[in-house]
Amino acid sequence: MAQVLDRPPVRPVVEAPAAGRRTAGRLTLPTLLTLTAIVTIVPFAAMVLVAFAPPSGQTFPGALNPANFTLENFSKVLSSSDIPRWTVNSLLYSLVSVALVLLFASMAGYAFAKKKFPGREIMFWAFLATLMVPFQATLIPSYILVAKLDWVDSYWGLIVPTLANSQAVFLMRQFILQLPDELFEAAEIDGAPEWRIFTMIVLPLVRPVLATLGIFVFLWHWNDFLWPLVIGQSGKMQTLTVGLATLQGQAVPINQLMAGATITVVPSLLVFGLLQRYLTDSIAMSGLKA
Amino acid sequence: MTNTQDTVAGRAGPAAGRRPRFGPRRRPWVGLLFVAPMLVLFLLFRFLPAIGAFFLSLTDYRISGKWDFIALDNYTRLLSDNVFHEALLVTITYTVIFVPLTVLLSLGTAVLLHQVVWNRGFFRGVFFLPYVTSIVLAAVIWKWIYDAQDGLLNSVLGLVSIGPIDFLSQSSTVLPSIAVTSAWKGFGYSMLILLAGLQAVPKSYLEAAMIDGAGTWQRFRYVTLPQLRPVLFFVLVIETIGAFQVFDAMYVMTGGGPVRSSYSLVYFLYDSGFKYFDFGYASAIGLVLFLIVLIVSLVQRRLVGRDD
Repeated sequence: MAQVLDRPPVRPVVEAPAAGRRTAGRLTLPTLLTLTAIVTIVPFAAMVLVAFAPPSGQTFPGALNPANFTLENFSKVLSSSDIPRWTVNSLLYSLVSVALVLLFASMAGYAFAKKKFPGREIMFWAFLATLMVPFQATLIPSYILVAKLDWVDSYWGLIVPTLANSQAVFLMRQFILQLPDELFEAAEIDGAPEWRIFTMIVLPLVRPVLATLGIFVFLWHWNDFLWPLVIGQSGKMQTLTVGLATLQGQAVPINQLMAGATITVVPSLLVFGLLQRYLTDSIAMSGLKA
Repeated sequence: MTNTQDTVAGRAGPAAGRRPRFGPRRRPWVGLLFVAPMLVLFLLFRFLPAIGAFFLSLTDYRISGKWDFIALDNYTRLLSDNVFHEALLVTITYTVIFVPLTVLLSLGTAVLLHQVVWNRGFFRGVFFLPYVTSIVLAAVIWKWIYDAQDGLLNSVLGLVSIGPIDFLSQSSTVLPSIAVTSAWKGFGYSMLILLAGLQAVPKSYLEAAMIDGAGTWQRFRYVTLPQLRPVLFFVLVIETIGAFQVFDAMYVMTGGGPVRSSYSLVYFLYDSGFKYFDFGYASAIGLVLFLIVLIVSLVQRRLVGRDD
């Protein structure tokens, strides 16, 4: 302690080596950062390069000359597989789920946050408790249920069971809880019908959460594997992730496989490119996991 | 407070408290109607399967729909089933490799991003990029990277005269190889959480430590790390729970091989259900998985205590 008290007069002397070290750090840390970034990006770059490389040149480090780039692999994989159909399935699975989860979750979130009704607390905690049960643990009964409903190999079976999303309900409730009660009560006093209050007041106010949640629900579904694998049994009902796994198992030439892989990643990249800030900020704030 | 005051105060503000005349208490069915769609979905597709899983695990439910109550037979069968023991061991081994790997990778990149201001947004984006893709895509790319004949990694290793190593066909390298793939795919998530945690460490603490003469490492070890503890713990638990559910990467990259050395619990569950149609048995595996996840979460509660 005494030493610390003595320090102020000699401060420049003490600081000097530290400052020197920091300049060195300023050089090595960015280098390390750049190297890590390159290693992170190499698998993607390799995928795209192989996808565009001429099939004759085979793979790395063979003909990766940009002058020889070709779309041949893409046209071949598109014609020899069901990729267009899988893309439609993936889009339906993701977009319909996004729309319905957002609607139902904001309705439930609004009720849990601002309405009083019997059993509200118990219901809410029960919703939360399901977060603890891993999806795989209930895979078999969920499948049997869908089979009983005769929904196996159908869009119903693919989409409907995945709409029960407790994270979405929780997030909406937390957000709506912060909105002042007066907003809704004023409208009620003016005699606005409940549904109008919801569409004219609640929905516009929760738009930022809808955006964030929408991105996550989209990615959850677009990248989902186990449920579509179990439900989409015929080739026609497979999603892109399942289809890609099928292609992998069929010993498709590597150039075509990577072309297929490149196609599956485009929507994720679009979402990422357009909405990166939204995504990263909301993870940092709420811990949402896609 | 009289009734008239109450209605007049209706628009006036918080002093009026609960306004019975217009308040939500009057029409409880409205709230119920708003929860109804989600509630029905939950009852049908979350609660029913959760309860169903438990009851199914006490039966020998087969694909024909016929079943008998067999009490705990599925569980005693699990206890003596070598495939289950192997799958459990594979899952634990994978978790032990994957969790430290991914946490160190996330922490390392988070610290780097925190220290280097230069192009931070860009680098954050690069590290986060694999996270928005599917694990199937990651598995397809990395299976090729690991390929013994013309894979990227063996081509690079060949330049320094190592290998070729058949990473995915040897029981000693298959789990680390899959763990690297999953870590590459997912570290961006934990990195963001840890980065937010690092940014929340009060600057004054670090400055105080600096004035006391603490070096970079000491500041990190004695100031940053203790402050980061709850966040680090959250990441640890999330990643551990995720690791116990590993399936996709193994399904795509190895099919569980070589000789079940990458055959996880969920893989075993999937096969029991959809290859052998032994639904009761598969449900019992699911319940074991649930118990493991529950224990991991409870241990976290215990250890982190109230600072959560």
